[in-house]
Amino acid sequence: MTTLTPEATGSAGSVAGNLVMTLRGVEKHFPIKEGALQRVVGQVRAVDGISLDIRRGETVGLVGESGCGKTTLGRCVSGLSRPTAGGIYFRLSDRDQIALDEALAIPEDQRTNEQKQLMARIDAEHRLDTMSAAARRIYRRNCQVVFQDAFSSLNPRHLVKDIVGRPLRVFKEASGSELTERVVSLLESVGMGRQHLYRYPHQFSGGQRQRISIARALALDPDFIVLDEPTSALDVSVQAQILNLLHELQQQWGLTYLFISHDLGVVRLMSDRIGVMYLGRLVEQGTAEELFESARHPYTQALLAANPDLSADLDVEMRGLEGTVPDPANPPQGCRFHTRCPVAVPQCGWEVDDAVSWLSDMAGGLRGDVPHQLTAAFPDALTAVERRSDFDATLVFADEASAGLVGETLTGDGMPTSMAAALEGVSVEDHKVSIRFTEVDEVTLEDLGGGHLTSCILYTGRG
Amino acid sequence: MTAPAASAPSKATAPLVVSVHDLRVHFKVKAGVAHAVDGVSFDVRDGETLGLVGETGCGKTVTARSFLRLVKTPPGIYAGGRIDFWSRDARRSGEEPVDLLRISDRDMLAIRGDRIAMIFQDPAKALNPAMSIGDQVAEVFYQHRSEDLVGGGPDRVPSIVRRASRQATTAPERLALRLPPWRRQGRALRRRVDELVAGALAETQIANPRKIMGRYPHELSGGMKQRVMIAQALACNPDLLIADEPTTALDVTIQARILELIADLQQRHGTSVLYISHDLSLVRQMCDRVAVMYAGRIVETGHTGAVFTDPLHPYTRGLMAAVPSASQKRGELLAIEGNVPEMVDPTPCCRFHTRCRFAVDLCRQIDPELLDIRDHGVACLAYASAARLGVPETSLPLVEGTSR
Repeated sequence: MTTLTPEATGSAGSVAGNLVMTLRGVEKHFPIKEGALQRVVGQVRAVDGISLDIRRGETVGLVGESGCGKTTLGRCVSGLSRPTAGGIYFRLSDRDQIALDEALAIPEDQRTNEQKQLMARIDAEHRLDTMSAAARRIYRRNCQVVFQDAFSSLNPRHLVKDIVGRPLRVFKEASGSELTERVVSLLESVGMGRQHLYRYPHQFSGGQRQRISIARALALDPDFIVLDEPTSALDVSVQAQILNLLHELQQQWGLTYLFISHDLGVVRLMSDRIGVMYLGRLVEQGTAEELFESARHPYTQALLAANPDLSADLDVEMRGLEGTVPDPANPPQGCRFHTRCPVAVPQCGWEVDDAVSWLSDMAGGLRGDVPHQLTAAFPDALTAVERRSDFDATLVFADEASAGLVGETLTGDGMPTSMAAALEGVSVEDHKVSIRFTEVDEVTLEDLGGGHLTSCILYTGRG
Repeated sequence: MTAPAASAPSKATAPLVVSVHDLRVHFKVKAGVAHAVDGVSFDVRDGETLGLVGETGCGKTVTARSFLRLVKTPPGIYAGGRIDFWSRDARRSGEEPVDLLRISDRDMLAIRGDRIAMIFQDPAKALNPAMSIGDQVAEVFYQHRSEDLVGGGPDRVPSIVRRASRQATTAPERLALRLPPWRRQGRALRRRVDELVAGALAETQIANPRKIMGRYPHELSGGMKQRVMIAQALACNPDLLIADEPTTALDVTIQARILELIADLQQRHGTSVLYISHDLSLVRQMCDRVAVMYAGRIVETGHTGAVFTDPLHPYTRGLMAAVPSASQKRGELLAIEGNVPEMVDPTPCCRFHTRCRFAVDLCRQIDPELLDIRDHGVACLAYASAARLGVPETSLPLVEGTSR
């Protein structure tokens, strides 16, 4: 039985080994349903193949824009939703982890019997969605979550004593006056006190509510806490209080954090290692210092450039990104960022959809100062698209003139050079335009050395 | 209480657009009267951007909303003060300013959305989900530009079309407009409105404005919705634009684009902007002058450069130190302890004394005035003159790094 005495486990991040969470190829897809029969017509790939190790005592930060899948990943890691594919393993030993990686590297039907047995054992003991009831019980009490909005994550009809004491009651840790005392000591550890026991959540300010959430998460003395935007609803002065508190608790209780936030400044301050997510993928990963001092991936660089900073040079203009985040139900081929990337090269994965969206931007007069002559032909005259692959398709137009105009535009020099270079062929036939791009494979995270991973082909040597 | 004289070379001499004097907006609550805005004074000059910063509940949004009389009364009470507004035309013809708190509702209607426009924080909530984008933006033109819509001399336009241009038609009249003999004019009116709407949307760099006009808010991304709101706000080329946390609901990469857009449009149209935000770094980027608010009062004001390089008020300093930055160590953020107090029937005191590291007894008894110190205004007793207050020098608080 765990006690409330905080155990000092040395400074954060110094303990090597000791994996708390191991993620391997985690995917979470949400079905898109349509019609009266709710037929599945597609999948939103919220999280699409993420591998990550979280070690004892460290803080791993996850940053990205809204809709990049960081919260979904947090929910998967905390067991609130079950991943569609891939495995999340809790407390793997280093030896098991190496063996697991070896086994996962080869296709399932080619694994040796020993490997199969090992996989079965790891699945039963460590993997979240297949683990035994006893293992799950241990996992449940060791993994807690603090949510973004402390108001909706605290039951408005329960007293603080019930909210913070609930985990203790569920795990039959304490009852009666002992429970009250445990709750008081929990409240004291987050800077609150006995006078707050018999109040409702609405009687507290945002910062205090977040403290109550943290106290509840600490109740069972967990190893690991998922912090999902814990301060984004708070003012800066209160945010600073909560961040200091979280750090203090990590030192005292030897906690491991997965810190999810969209605020780069906060993530930089709190994290030992940071993963940058874009459209369900990790695009860069490294220590906080490395990532901020020598960001490699253009997306990370764009995030940093757009991030306002009090010490920033005012002459350097804040830059945003062009365009919008692509649809996660139909993510771009190759590097997922290439549609908005300022330094894209021909090998980034240009495809037919890019050509079409570029054409409609041209027609909409967004790229040029004057409305383009295309406006008459595109997209109204486009009647059908015959798609052979993402890189090869035929656009069917209502009349030959429109097709000719589109063909001319595609072969003209207005097109971004890297997209034009990736274009293998355009042929106009009657009222049809065929477009073919060079096919490329999906990009993967590759190590640049020192645990700094990036998926940009400019650095991974495939460009 | 007087606003300190501005001293920037170019924009300081520009004519005033708005002058707020001792504005007080209170709210009736169970416990008494909450002083949400309690004696706020500031000026906005032609073409300048004034930033209003502060934390939740400091009264910055209430201040902005009272410009357009959007504070609901009751429970709100306009307890005092004036908001003098000079429209461009009024200034040109040398007219007196109008007091936005006292003009009739009819006059307010003419100003709201036309001379003073507002961009709200959450575009998802501010746009009507049941109306297409085209119809929503068109409302501004129907409301304020009905004269231009009908065109021609007054006698040649049937009154039904005239009413349609003000959206003042009844349901049978709207049906009649679709039938001969008015069908042609009805269509022409619609065409002119659509042209104006498309033009307004194109201003904000929306691709394919005609296509967007048929869409509904839920079909657009957050950044797009905010662009629609900006198009709506700037449609009538207002003299003053109030931007109430325009990018809080957006991602950083989109935020940078929207701010760029606002700055660009402001420059082209010479609009004055009242920019409200809780984000100090954004205000530093966007604004010429800044006013820091705390618990219903302005505690520090001045040129952005002066306030950010040499903050005087302990609250401004605390706020700046609490923002995580590269140089800070984990666990050593300088937080301001405690919470923003609720100002229910306040007694005269410095409102920051409950959280101030430097507070002394005097701070609980005397309400500090905004003083003109080192090029900017600050309301802190540490900078006050003991002789003027009639107290001994030693009873004043001592704030680090200040010399009297």
